[in-house]
Amino acid sequence: MAYNLVVPVTEQEDLGHGYFRIRLAAPEIAAESRAGQFVMIGVPDIDVMLIRRPFSVARVAPPEGGRPAGFDVLYKIYGKRTLAFSHLRPGSTMSVLGPLGRGFWIPDEHRDDGEAELFLVAGGIGNAPFPLLLQHLTPAQARRTTLFFGGRTRADLTLLDWFRERCGRVVTATEDGSHGVKGFVTAPLIAALDAEPRRPRAIMACGPPAMMKAVAAIGLQRNVPCQLSIEETMACGFGVCLGCVVERRDPTGDFDRFVRVCCEGPVFDAREVRL
Amino acid sequence: MNPGVRTAVDVGRGLVLKNPVLTASGTFGYGLEFEPYLDLAQLGGVVVKGISPKPRAGNAPARIVETPSGMLNAIGLQNVGVRRFVAEKLPHLRERDTAVVVNVYGTAVDDYVEVASALESEEGVAALELNLSCPNVKEGGLLIGKSPRAIEEVTAAVRRVSTRPLWVKLTPNVSDIVEVARSAVAGGADCLTLINTFVGMAIDVERRRPVLSNVMGGLSGPAIRPLAVAMVWQVHKALPDVPIVGIGGIVSARDVVEFMLAGARAVQVGTANFNDPGVATRIASDLAAFCVARGVTDVNELVGAAQRTPPASEGCG
Repeated sequence: MAYNLVVPVTEQEDLGHGYFRIRLAAPEIAAESRAGQFVMIGVPDIDVMLIRRPFSVARVAPPEGGRPAGFDVLYKIYGKRTLAFSHLRPGSTMSVLGPLGRGFWIPDEHRDDGEAELFLVAGGIGNAPFPLLLQHLTPAQARRTTLFFGGRTRADLTLLDWFRERCGRVVTATEDGSHGVKGFVTAPLIAALDAEPRRPRAIMACGPPAMMKAVAAIGLQRNVPCQLSIEETMACGFGVCLGCVVERRDPTGDFDRFVRVCCEGPVFDAREVRL
Repeated sequence: MNPGVRTAVDVGRGLVLKNPVLTASGTFGYGLEFEPYLDLAQLGGVVVKGISPKPRAGNAPARIVETPSGMLNAIGLQNVGVRRFVAEKLPHLRERDTAVVVNVYGTAVDDYVEVASALESEEGVAALELNLSCPNVKEGGLLIGKSPRAIEEVTAAVRRVSTRPLWVKLTPNVSDIVEVARSAVAGGADCLTLINTFVGMAIDVERRRPVLSNVMGGLSGPAIRPLAVAMVWQVHKALPDVPIVGIGGIVSARDVVEFMLAGARAVQVGTANFNDPGVATRIASDLAAFCVARGVTDVNELVGAAQRTPPASEGCG
């Protein structure tokens, strides 16, 4: 069930280099969000903002009276909408619809045989769905989780310390070599997959299109289950505008060539979609 | 709705809507998707996504982009086709206490006739709305919608196989909206839906290419409202007895009133449904409140009222 609300902003944190974290006081949404699900958010005045924007539910706030007080959205300033978001202050209101879509699924949750658990792959602001995932993992699962975190430069690796406290292992890569391995994040991912004695249960990835395409190919080649959190322009977020489609990998006919990112995704198995 | 005001409107061929607020085809799915957010029974009607004889996959992405006070879409009429609509959607939709208007799309006269015929024996279809105006499919739609003769021909062909109230949704991408309106009426239209989207495009200046895969798209949203109001005004002036359903950038009850004052008997809320899935019923209740606050006892008093009031002439302009 998705909630359609106007809620207060309670925190706005400048994470530097155009990255921000905003907290919305929507306990209902925070309590029911699964990792990888998203919300449509905007300013409440339709004359100011006609089309809301989709963002991952990044993290839930600590509980107050039994349920989380709200949730965080991580965003980067790309255009005038995200710029306007960055000017909001605690006490401002935002309109929000969510939680929406299909999130990540955690395979064999109760298995505990000591093997590698999950490989998370994040590119820049593509780290956004992973804090909530880590909040939902057991401590033992989190210890066996590796985050491969890539960016153009060190400044793109936001919340790095937060991830380091919670993940068993964090491997970074930057295109300019300012942090971790120099180059794309897929290089250490491939190295780790080839070095692991046993395969991880799943790769979960979120990042720019080129990274997603590469990670999907890596997962498919090695037969490792691979979940992709895909972004596409959308107007509604709940399945009616039909704006946010991606190509299905195995259509049964011409009429079902596409799937909606908002409803059938945003998290897809790499075998489901053609990027 | 509000006890202080009569909201029922007659949109032709005996179809009376409980209030003038409908939702526009292509922005409201098959209606049921909105039930978590509003009560369909509070709407004058629901116009479903355009239905074609066969299912359609639609266009490749990118399909939408926001523009100043509007958005461009080039969905390409992705829909489940008439058979699945009748089997899977209509049984649920007809249970709801609102008028179900089925938007019909085809690429040739036979397609419109096929869908209209398939729906003729189905209960719970209050009216058909012929989409003669989609700018986003390569064949048909807009070409038919731009030719007065083709509009008359398609409308008359559907008229022959359907006893349902027949609405014709016209494209604004013509040089004379009144001429195409007359053609639809000549073909047997009971009501005119004015208007569909304007052809527009956006170019990504960094990548030096059109944003939409279809290159052109249909512009909707508040950006087109004044253009739509003008067309409603022109058609109502020329054809005062023909019911008009106004559409174009409606986001509030005041916008509804504006369309009604120009000559619309009812309206459709479109793009605003994407922004807020609960907006349509709020507009309907706000409309009643607007009327009550101004001593309007029947919404029909508003229809075309601005055409009877001389324009403001004071000032130094």
